[in-house]
Amino acid sequence: MKLGLVVDLDTCVGCHACATACKEWNGASAISGPLSDYDPYGSDPSGVWLNRVRHYEVGAYPDVKTVNFPMSCLHCEDAACVTVCPTGASYKRDDGIVLVDQDRCMGCNLCAWACPYGARELDTASGTMKKCTLCVDRVHDVALPEEERQPACVLACPTHARHFGDFDDPASKVSTLSAERGGFALLDELGYRPVNRYLPPRAPPTVVPDPPPAEERGALHRLIARAKAVLAG
Amino acid sequence: MPVPIENRPLPQAPAAERRTEYSTCYMCACRCGIQITLENDQLRFIQGNRNHPVNQGVLCAKGSAGIMKQLSPAKLRKPLRRKPGAERGSGEFEEIEWDEALSIVEARLRKIRATDPKQLAFFTGRDQMQALSGLWAQQFGTPNWAAHGGFCSVNMAAAGLYSIGYSFWEFGAPDWDRAKYFVLWGVAEDHSSNPIKIGLDKLKRHGAKFVSINPVRTGYSAIADEWVPVRPGSDGLLALAIVNVLLNDGTIDFEFLARYTNAPWLVIQAPGAADDGLFARDHENRPLVFDDAIGDLTGAVTFDTRPALFGEYTLPDGRRAKTSLALAADRYLDAAYAPEAVAERCGVPADTIRRIAREMAHVAFHETITLDVSWTDVWGRVHDKVVGRPVAMYAMRGVSAHSNGFHTCRALHLIQMLLGALDGPGNFRARAPFPKPIPPKQLPAISPAHANAPLGGSPLGFPTRPEDLAVDAEGRPLRVDKAYSWESPLAAHGLMHMVIANAVAGDPYPIDTLILFMANMAWNSSMNTAGTRDLLREKDASGAYKIPFIVVADAFWSETVAFADLVLPDTTYLERFDAISLLDRPISEPDAVADAIRHPIVALDRDVRPWQEVLVELASRLQFSAFVKPDGSRKFHDYCDFIVRYERAPGIGFLAGWRGVEGDRALVGAPNPRQWDAYIANQSFFAFHLPDALKWNRFANRRYLEFAKKAGFITDIEPIVMQIWSEPLQKFRLAGEGRYAGPRPPDPDDAARLAKYFDPLPFWYPPLELQPTDDAVYPLHALTQRPMVMYHSWDSQNAWLRQILAENFLYMNAGTAAALGLADDDWAWVESRRGKLRCRIRTMEGCEPNTVWTWNAVGKQRGAWALAPDAPEATTGFLLNHLISEHLPGAGRRITNSDPVTGQAAWFDLRVSVTKCQAGETGAWPTFEPLPSTGARPLVLRWSTT
Amino acid sequence: MHAAFSVLAFTVLSGAGLGALALIALADIVATVGGVELPAMPALWTRTAALALMLVVIGLCSSVLHLANPRNAWRSAARFRTSWLSREAVFSIAFLAVAAAYVAARHFAAAAPLLLALAAVTLVLAPVVIYCTAMIYASLKPIRAWHTARVPLAYLMLGFASGALLVVATLRAYGEPVTGLALIAAVLLAGAALVKLEYFHFLAGSEGSVTIGRAIGVPQGVGPPGATSVMAARLLDAGHSRGTFLTREFVNPRRHIRPMRWLFWVASIALPLLWLVAGLSEWRGAAAAFTACIAGLFAERWLFFVEARHTVRLYHGDQRT
Repeated sequence: MKLGLVVDLDTCVGCHACATACKEWNGASAISGPLSDYDPYGSDPSGVWLNRVRHYEVGAYPDVKTVNFPMSCLHCEDAACVTVCPTGASYKRDDGIVLVDQDRCMGCNLCAWACPYGARELDTASGTMKKCTLCVDRVHDVALPEEERQPACVLACPTHARHFGDFDDPASKVSTLSAERGGFALLDELGYRPVNRYLPPRAPPTVVPDPPPAEERGALHRLIARAKAVLAG
Repeated sequence: MPVPIENRPLPQAPAAERRTEYSTCYMCACRCGIQITLENDQLRFIQGNRNHPVNQGVLCAKGSAGIMKQLSPAKLRKPLRRKPGAERGSGEFEEIEWDEALSIVEARLRKIRATDPKQLAFFTGRDQMQALSGLWAQQFGTPNWAAHGGFCSVNMAAAGLYSIGYSFWEFGAPDWDRAKYFVLWGVAEDHSSNPIKIGLDKLKRHGAKFVSINPVRTGYSAIADEWVPVRPGSDGLLALAIVNVLLNDGTIDFEFLARYTNAPWLVIQAPGAADDGLFARDHENRPLVFDDAIGDLTGAVTFDTRPALFGEYTLPDGRRAKTSLALAADRYLDAAYAPEAVAERCGVPADTIRRIAREMAHVAFHETITLDVSWTDVWGRVHDKVVGRPVAMYAMRGVSAHSNGFHTCRALHLIQMLLGALDGPGNFRARAPFPKPIPPKQLPAISPAHANAPLGGSPLGFPTRPEDLAVDAEGRPLRVDKAYSWESPLAAHGLMHMVIANAVAGDPYPIDTLILFMANMAWNSSMNTAGTRDLLREKDASGAYKIPFIVVADAFWSETVAFADLVLPDTTYLERFDAISLLDRPISEPDAVADAIRHPIVALDRDVRPWQEVLVELASRLQFSAFVKPDGSRKFHDYCDFIVRYERAPGIGFLAGWRGVEGDRALVGAPNPRQWDAYIANQSFFAFHLPDALKWNRFANRRYLEFAKKAGFITDIEPIVMQIWSEPLQKFRLAGEGRYAGPRPPDPDDAARLAKYFDPLPFWYPPLELQPTDDAVYPLHALTQRPMVMYHSWDSQNAWLRQILAENFLYMNAGTAAALGLADDDWAWVESRRGKLRCRIRTMEGCEPNTVWTWNAVGKQRGAWALAPDAPEATTGFLLNHLISEHLPGAGRRITNSDPVTGQAAWFDLRVSVTKCQAGETGAWPTFEPLPSTGARPLVLRWSTT
Repeated sequence: MHAAFSVLAFTVLSGAGLGALALIALADIVATVGGVELPAMPALWTRTAALALMLVVIGLCSSVLHLANPRNAWRSAARFRTSWLSREAVFSIAFLAVAAAYVAARHFAAAAPLLLALAAVTLVLAPVVIYCTAMIYASLKPIRAWHTARVPLAYLMLGFASGALLVVATLRAYGEPVTGLALIAAVLLAGAALVKLEYFHFLAGSEGSVTIGRAIGVPQGVGPPGATSVMAARLLDAGHSRGTFLTREFVNPRRHIRPMRWLFWVASIALPLLWLVAGLSEWRGAAAAFTACIAGLFAERWLFFVEARHTVRLYHGDQRT
């Protein structure tokens, strides 16, 4: 099993629903909650988030595209964060999910150094590293109805720009989407073999307009004639 | 090195008592359905309800952060009275009991009602219970009521309701499933939020082309297939150039125009006459057309009528008349509207304008959709299919918030009419209870309020002629905001932004009491914020405040709370009952009539009361006729009882679901005492799905119109004929020109405005406040956009959302910035005619070069919303409002800086200059005195349910 | 990268201590096997070794201070098979045990075979510990400035050089001339200087090829439609108004590079070299020379962190790493 996410850059409008839904679910989750917030009502508010949305521009005016870029743990196949972890707190399951065991982590930051994607954040209140759990306490929870056994971010996304599934199953939504749309891995040259895939924006549809009318007569005259023709016939 | 794989037992949450509830979100006006999970009665998770018609399971960042809203330390806890001796705005209060608070209000209101009811001005910022607050005001007897539509989006509502019978935002939605070409005008992240997001994904999945016309490429525009960076305020010009191309090419839907619009209606051509420009009518007052089928004029239009779309004809009285469409063609075929003529002003190349118009036409006429749905038209003819011209449009604030927004929006509707792209498959479609007659048959109360009696009519409505204005015999405004006066005749949503300035100036008259519900008028919901705050504190010669008494009802400690004399604290959305009613702003979808409720999910932990309960309580105490039994005793014991048993008309109440004594009737039925339980049992919403035959071309769909009449949406079964040439506008124009056979404006300034701006056909004009020197002195257009994570000022108290957005910058095009010597994070002075402010700059590529913009309402006053006085919202955040004047420039009479037709506040007409600050000039400016602290703030928040 | 003082202290102090103990052990082995006399009294050597061991202990304690949740520190040996930090933990503990035994054996004048064995293991373990420490950094692919063999080389060289300087300084402080050792120390210091010089050159040249465009997928078509060549990408908004763990840890401002480099060259290389060559034998000069070297190494280690660009910076506004 190789569970992971597909993020569709063609439809992500950068609304932060995924980031907030994640914060909400995982804040009270037994897996790694609570997720601390520091100075929440003060001059320097920050906190632990497992999913963040960043915004980029590509190109120059007027040929410019705004790219909204949600990022969370990519649950790499060759997860260096797991191999470098000295205490064995960081581990990878056979369903592909990479987790941090909060009881073992000593907060040395090494996994965060090893992760090129910034997927891990230190919660200074607990002294442990926290990261996307792929909502492991939702996706395998048989007490939830099947359609709810998805990560919170996937359920929340208003443009349906996030999909969850098993990349080992070629018929799964994530596999087929990735194949159809050319899903790519981030910084794959580093060799971490991230599982999550990003879908590039689709090419814009072409609409070929009809050629303009060739008549020489004035526009109003043409209009009247056409009206007569259409309404008579 | 292969990564070792292992499975370990996962930490288990302690056993908890779980329950799932359903209600309606309240973070914006989208009203998504939410599913709330509680553990041991604590909020655990708020997600979208997948069964709900509005959001179908998704939920945006604001809704997903609801728990932090609920846990915000900014919640008001008890009624407050301004401390004796404390100045308004100081935020110094003493807590009092509800009994005392209500007695104070009751006594004051009783006195006003008994002497001069219009001395009460009651305005609401959140208008999701307009039907109740409007009824309350009408029953009280004051015309001075409105919600915030006047400075929000009345241009969209009015343009739609005076043109097509429904409108962008509130009363319509695009057909996301079938549209093949979608044009979005002036929408960054705006209503209707999640449905637009869901819809854009659908469009992309089925290969529709999405064009976004917007000066900035963020939000929805980020994912547009084509981004058209238009110059702010010139969208109308762009739209009419598209009209020019369509007419030139002849690519318009002649049949649609002939059958469903007033294109063939004959307009009297009699310069100087009192009815010049009005429709020629027969003896039954029906508009005349020339029927090619019979070769004569007729007012009796049937399915077999073949009305001429063009031409000039002789009327029975010998005068001449031209068709509406002919008049439109005369105007828009003119070279002045050719793409080449408008390109520079719009900032869009002529080729692009032409191409987009032709793409629209191609899709409309060559990619038509046919649905095998049988439907009956209003003349009784049965059609076996529905044809759709699958071009859809949507528009909002970027069009609305200009002084030319009404006409611009009418121009968009004109495009849709020409393409035959309305309420068909793939189009912008109506949402129940619309479409309604054009305009809806409701007039604003025009008779002066009498003591201790309800208003003669509703405080708001849709005037169709000068006689409908709310003015006295001398032509002076009856409303303090001057809505429905000669200055703002079609002000369908009132002018909330003018209340304070007008009341303090005593123009048209002073008031005694101002009640504000969830309206941050002392901050982001006012133009000229600093000036407005001063006005709220302004005193007369005797030392009394010019607005003697201010009551603020709100759930959170906003900047405006500090200016109250009395604060009535409201509940949050998870603590009360609410009805999101068809009588209000509906949550209907095009295919389903829908309404919803809220009900208490968490117990109240402080001494606050739902505002609706307070309204019902006051109404009962003051013995409003609708709230008392014939013997004078109280009719409703609380809000819930009122909602269930109040009937606007027999069988028609606030909630449409589970009516009838047995709860088995939909839309119409006797009150059901267990109606609230039925809603709660059904996930807090009701949806009545329209059968296929009733879904399309509803303006001329007999079965739909019959259904709509039964449901109480409309009163007559008649076709809703879309209006290209608007006769109501022409009547006002005649009045301005001094030719109207009826009331005329006494003030020549008003007359000139009517003569110029009440053009019965849409046209474009530069913003009203534009001065000849502006291009040189204030060369940049300044706008705001609504961010995706915040709604107005109501999210900085949210611990999660403010981490995402705690301050705002002024964004500008990188090239423009470089030319001004500005780089990222530079401090700069931003100056308008009105004043100046200091803020930091950020550059970007996706911004039209003549435009600067910032996020709406992020800046806060120091100490407001229970934030630290040195919060970024206060130290680096800023409001563009400081630079906007509520009045137009110039000496003489103070005229509102609004659309002259509707009174819509012209926020986005703002023009500024930007210059780099000197070294040492840092920090947001202007700043205001910090509000007193509301309590200790935690250094670390570790939210959980255990 | 954020340069945590506790980590700087750990690598610098432990490095010096480890290098010194390795050198002392080597001297012991050479002396015993070669049958020559060590310059200076054995007790002095023992004292020096104890001092070096103390530095290693201080350093290791400091490294534990770096942990956000030190009560799990005892687990850090768990992933010896894959984690350099685990290996460093294991070898550090092993080293402490052996080195303590070695110092004790010296102090109590243990039998030569035992002393020799302990010295040999000390000699082997010391560079192994340094190597493991360096490999913690050098094994990290996202940090191009670290992912090079130059890093363990520099750590070893600087560890030996500062260790040698510690030995010479301590011995000279007690009045021993130790010119031979001074020469060795000078050579090690010069060698370390060359290694660092080449490393700074390498840093300048390795202005990374990983760009922000690559990081967000511009080559895969993430750009305006119809555009052809690689397009400029830039950060528009990071998605948070204030800092995060990532910005605090990785997106540090890169300031004061030049002054710190100067501090390193002068304090760690020039001054100690001068002092070594000058041959002064009084404790103030010795203390000053060693302190200067350590101070300069703090600067060098600070630079090691601050100059390193983690790829996550690409997502926070950097154009290249």
